[in-house]
Amino acid sequence: MRNKTGVRSQKSGVRKKYIIFAVLLFFFSGGAALAVDVNDLIFQGADFHYKGKLDEAIGKFQAAVRIDSGNEYAHNQLGILYAKKERFGDAFQEFSRVVQIDRRNTFALLWLGILHLRQNDLNNAFEKFQEIVKIDPDNADAYYYLGAIYNFRHNQAKAIEYLKKARDADSGEADTHYRLGKAFHNVDMVYNALLEYDRALELKPSYTAAINEAGWIYYNQGSYEEAIGEWKKTLRINPGDGDAIFNLAKAYNDLAWKALAAGNRKEAVTYWKKTLGVNPSNKAAKYNLEKYGK
Amino acid sequence: MDRRLFLNLLGKGVLASSALGIFPSLVWGKTSFDYALEGQNLIQSGNYDGALKVLKEAVRLDPQSDWTFGLLGRAYRGLGRKAEAVDAFRQAVRLNPEDVYSRMMIEIMTQKPIPKLKKVKKPLTPLERNALEEEKRMLSRLQSDEGLEYQVKRVVIDAGHGGFDSGAVGLNGLKEKDVNLDLAKKLHQRLQSGGEVKAFLTRTEDYYVPLSDRTVIANQYQADLFISIHINANKNREAHGSETYFCAEKASSKEAARVAALENAVLKYDKPFKKRPGYIDIEEILFQFERKLYWSESGKFAGGFQDRFKQGLPLKSRGVHSANFYVLRTAKMPSILLETGFISNSNEESMLKQPAFREKIVDAIMRGLA
Repeated sequence: MRNKTGVRSQKSGVRKKYIIFAVLLFFFSGGAALAVDVNDLIFQGADFHYKGKLDEAIGKFQAAVRIDSGNEYAHNQLGILYAKKERFGDAFQEFSRVVQIDRRNTFALLWLGILHLRQNDLNNAFEKFQEIVKIDPDNADAYYYLGAIYNFRHNQAKAIEYLKKARDADSGEADTHYRLGKAFHNVDMVYNALLEYDRALELKPSYTAAINEAGWIYYNQGSYEEAIGEWKKTLRINPGDGDAIFNLAKAYNDLAWKALAAGNRKEAVTYWKKTLGVNPSNKAAKYNLEKYGK
Repeated sequence: MDRRLFLNLLGKGVLASSALGIFPSLVWGKTSFDYALEGQNLIQSGNYDGALKVLKEAVRLDPQSDWTFGLLGRAYRGLGRKAEAVDAFRQAVRLNPEDVYSRMMIEIMTQKPIPKLKKVKKPLTPLERNALEEEKRMLSRLQSDEGLEYQVKRVVIDAGHGGFDSGAVGLNGLKEKDVNLDLAKKLHQRLQSGGEVKAFLTRTEDYYVPLSDRTVIANQYQADLFISIHINANKNREAHGSETYFCAEKASSKEAARVAALENAVLKYDKPFKKRPGYIDIEEILFQFERKLYWSESGKFAGGFQDRFKQGLPLKSRGVHSANFYVLRTAKMPSILLETGFISNSNEESMLKQPAFREKIVDAIMRGLA
């Protein structure tokens, strides 16, 4: 998730010339008054980073901060690189250093929050994200994490409040729409939930968690075929999706019982066969097929 | 037509179509690529206004070009319009996640606050209209608490075993599955009538529900708490009392491991997360955090629950234990498994037969949930 935190899509871009031109343009047109060699080091570091050459990138950024110890971007990059190398203590130090340089560097604060979450330190993570929204009331990422934390606490009213702010600040993240959808779903605001799941899928059509949840909305409304269609869609994207497999198995089992209760034994047997088709170890379907299938 | 003439015409046709392919602008006017190229040149010469104009045209003609959006971002940045620049760079990254330059620009520019981008209002779709109506109707009714206290508004009650799986059977023939169902139904009714908590059952009759289906039901209803009701059994007929379990990787004792083994009997679908080197998946950090949180929350809840549950019940409290129960493992919410006595103990079996004692157990569960 979250391209803007700089942790996704680490594959190297091919158009090196384009990058060189663009980076030089950035530094020079921006009127940056930094020494050229620092800029060179930063560019080389970024280039190594995006190519996945983490050790080389660390070397370049370390050299950059030796020359310019106040370079927030270089420290932030070092922080991310250390986190990728699982040197979380070092990463924490880098982001803390950035915050010492400038308390308004919300990128570093965000990462400090994420690292607190990684340590299961909910309260400190929460504080960091709150600090960010005080500095920047439009920070979608901070609102997202605050909303996610309220989601974890199943405090859906608060989750909705914060995730809506994240959505309105930047609706471009599928995860934001998905978690907001979940929060709406939890308080039976099904139209809003469906809308947010749809929006998540518009941004990321392979977002199977959103497809699975939308399936439950249809299912709970009695639209069984539509629900089944959703979970099958998930399996076309990811044939090993455990949630979709179990959801389908449960739906087929339910429909089998329904058919049996209505006196339609043949249809019930068909559904139990379908259950086993998606989940071959389903004990209920095995037993019932043996009992009613003859 | 003879062969020579045919080849001659074919040759001319290929030549003409190649020319169109290479220089389509000669015949059809400027393409998105032409505008983008012109925009790039204008950026290089520092004419950002001019670049913006032609790049907007390029985007209009081809809204799927990450290259054009990257250029658009640069033009906006040159004009000091940071919000628009970041938005364009984000669009470029969405179209091409490998667009490293746009990614770097986003990272650099969003290190610190940038102005908010004004959004263009579009006409509402039918679903958006329904959602808006629903929001007006329902959102104001939601109570919002500031604290980080875990909130329970929906409970899924699982009556263990059922159908061909009778669970443990007492010396006098009492079946665990029947007691579990009766207790679950009574608890369901009590919670529903309270009006503050929504309750759902995993089974309403005597039929078998696979373990996997039970937590699927909890997920189906977006439950805040999953409670699985069971009656214990032991070869030692003297064993007695109630206990509460929660999920953990390692069992807290050999006895806890035995109880979990008794309840676990399905294929495991869980696949361990394979971490790629040099890659941090934030959603995975959140997922792992959420899972640990639910398990630790289950532990905390189980402790408090058992303390309240044991009060007023003529059952010895055997305390709280943890083990890797499949039925709890896949739940996406805190979950506990309650053993409300030993059916293998003749004294407890006879108590469990009595409707009045079952009411007392339900009272105790309600107290435990409070």
